[in-house]
Parts: sequence; structure tokens; C-alpha cells
Amino acid sequence: MKEEKKEDREQVVRIYEAGYLIAPTVKEEDLESIVGGIRNTIEKVGGVFIAEGAPAMTRLSYVIEVREGSGTAEHDRAYFGWIKFEAETAVVGMLEASFKRSADIIRHLVFRTVREDTRAKIKALSLREVKRTDTIRTVPRKIEESVPVSEEDLDKALTDLTTE
Amino acid sequence: MNILTQNDIQYVDYKDVDLLKQFINPHGRVMSRSKTSLTAKQQRAVEIAIKRARLIGLLPFVQK
Repeated sequence: MKEEKKEDREQVVRIYEAGYLIAPTVKEEDLESIVGGIRNTIEKVGGVFIAEGAPAMTRLSYVIEVREGSGTAEHDRAYFGWIKFEAETAVVGMLEASFKRSADIIRHLVFRTVREDTRAKIKALSLREVKRTDTIRTVPRKIEESVPVSEEDLDKALTDLTTE
Repeated sequence: MNILTQNDIQYVDYKDVDLLKQFINPHGRVMSRSKTSLTAKQQRAVEIAIKRARLIGLLPFVQK
């Protein structure tokens, strides 16, 4: 009885998404083989692909430290890719194991999702909308034309000022 | 009216960094519901998406 239940649970097909970061030290021509490896793991369990985002170089929000041999390597950018697929629940364990085994994948994420496209369709969002009822008008400054003053007039004006 | 309802966004994706940035403060912390004016369901979805984005390095855990 228990075994039957276990079997039923294993055969459940669900929709998952896997996100991954590939180390920036990997050459661009080698990316395809890494992604191919991920695809193979999914296909092994009879998974069907729904959508995919090819790995693209992304600047990370914080430095990710990765153990490399005896020391650690720090990465501030990486190739970020994702894949959405439909497969049996057993795929999650297998996929996570393969991600952990791969030295080129520095971070990974597998979670349940929905078939629909979950990306937001809008761009350039702003939380606070600026509402301006009155427009600011600029008035050009009047340039006063300068009239040449003779030295005599200037002296006269000075003496008038001093005598007062 | 909040951003998600305004733009008719049904699902919050962790890859939509620009959208998620609207819901974090300059220190990188998730804003409270009183500031986001999201429904409880939407707030939960946003929180989960932010946490996923942080893990994969698209958003910061803390910003100095």
C-alpha cells in the first residue's frame, strides 16, 4: 500500500523553473555545452521544455565567493540563464545534484512555477508619479543696451556725487 | 491602487529586477505593506521573488 502511494507521488508531472549562474571565467563558446548538460538531465526524466533564457553576462548585486581548489575566487559578474520545463518530480533532485557537481555553475535555483509567462509586460516603472498641474514658463531676460559714456560725462557725474 | 494592480500583473517573476526594485528601500530591505500598498497575496509573491532574486545575485541582500 505504502509502495503504491510512493509510486504515485513519483510520477506526478509538474512545471519547474531553473535559474543558474555560470562563472565568468567560462568562454562563451563553452556555454552551449554547459546548457546542453542541463537540458540532457531534464530530458533523461522525460521533461518537456516550455521556455528558456540563454545565459547572458550580468553584473551581480554583490560579490559571490566560490571555492576553487585550495583558495576562493570572487565573482562580481556571471552568465545568468534560466529554463522552464515540465517534468516528473524526481527531476529536481537530479538537476540540483548535477548543478552541484558542475564547477562552472556558481549558483542555482529550482522552484515550482506556472505554465503562463510570468514576466511583467511593462517597462520604466515609477512608484511616485510626478503630477505637475502648472507648467514652468521661462521669461527671457531683457538685455539692457549699453550706451557708450564719454569721459567728460563720467567726471561730471563723479564730481556731482562727491560735492553733495 | 498599487503598481501590480495598475499594470495588471498576475505573476511576479524574480527576473523582473526593475519591478522588484520598486519594492525595496535604498538599504535593500523589503518595504512594508503600508508603503507598497499591495494586497497580502501580492506582498507574499513580491517577497518570494525578491528572495529568489537575491539568491541568484540579481538583487542585494544589503546595500551600504
